[in-house]
Amino acid sequence: MAELRLDCLGEACPVPLLKTQKKMEGMKVGDILVVEIDHSCAMKNVPEWARKEGHNVEIEEVDDGQWEIYIEKTK
Amino acid sequence: MSEVVQKSIKTNSKSKKKVNQIPFGVVLLIGLIGFGFFMANQSPKSAVMWVFGVAAGFTLQRSRFCFTASMRDPVLTGSTSLTKAVIIAIATATVGFASIQYGAVIKGAEKIPGNISPVGIHVAIGAFMFGIGMVIAGGCASGTLMRVGEGFTMQMLSIVFFIIGSLWGAKDFGWWTNTFISKTKPVFLPNLIGWAPALLIQFGLLLALYILADWYGNRKSE
Repeated sequence: MAELRLDCLGEACPVPLLKTQKKMEGMKVGDILVVEIDHSCAMKNVPEWARKEGHNVEIEEVDDGQWEIYIEKTK
Repeated sequence: MSEVVQKSIKTNSKSKKKVNQIPFGVVLLIGLIGFGFFMANQSPKSAVMWVFGVAAGFTLQRSRFCFTASMRDPVLTGSTSLTKAVIIAIATATVGFASIQYGAVIKGAEKIPGNISPVGIHVAIGAFMFGIGMVIAGGCASGTLMRVGEGFTMQMLSIVFFIIGSLWGAKDFGWWTNTFISKTKPVFLPNLIGWAPALLIQFGLLLALYILADWYGNRKSE
């Protein structure tokens, strides 16, 4: 079980989601991806997409206006 | 919450202690109200606009509402939740606009309130250009303003060029008026086909779009 990080700081919508989708493709089931974002709109569409795909998702606000999205690949 | 994710958050958590934002909020709210009263003294209309502006901005930010995403996401990511939100917003606005305009017509107003502008090829050209621009800039007018307020640096650059673009548009507006706009007529459906059919068509189309968006968003990807 690996944990990968994806730096999307400073990236505007929809770049974080596209990068996440690409990165998730190459991951194994059980791996965790931590997406770092600071664009509030990515906080909506990245978790929404991941939940729709059936992955486990959690959001942490690590600093003012900066978040980490934890996605566990489940399939 | 999944245990694995939970554990991962715990080991990673470098979240530092955050400053309590409530005092800032209270000060800002008092400032906003104070400035509203200050404006009401000069011109009551500006104060009303101020209230609506602040309320709209707050709603946009908290709801993560985004006109750009509503048009872009169905194509790019297959998500239509914001598309549906915009359709609902247009339907709600239709109720408001229709009652204001119908009320004015009943009272015998000569000019129907609202910006009823000519439609023509210039609308299609403008919409196409605006669409390309807003996807690259990461926001339309309201979205860009809102994210500048949030402190997103990239969009501060967007707003500079948004202003430059608007000024350029204003400079060329005379040419557009002479070449296209003056040659077309404003279309106001209720005047053409009556109020009831116009509203029926509007709500019918919105409902059809909503159903289409809902179906498209729930499709199994691949």
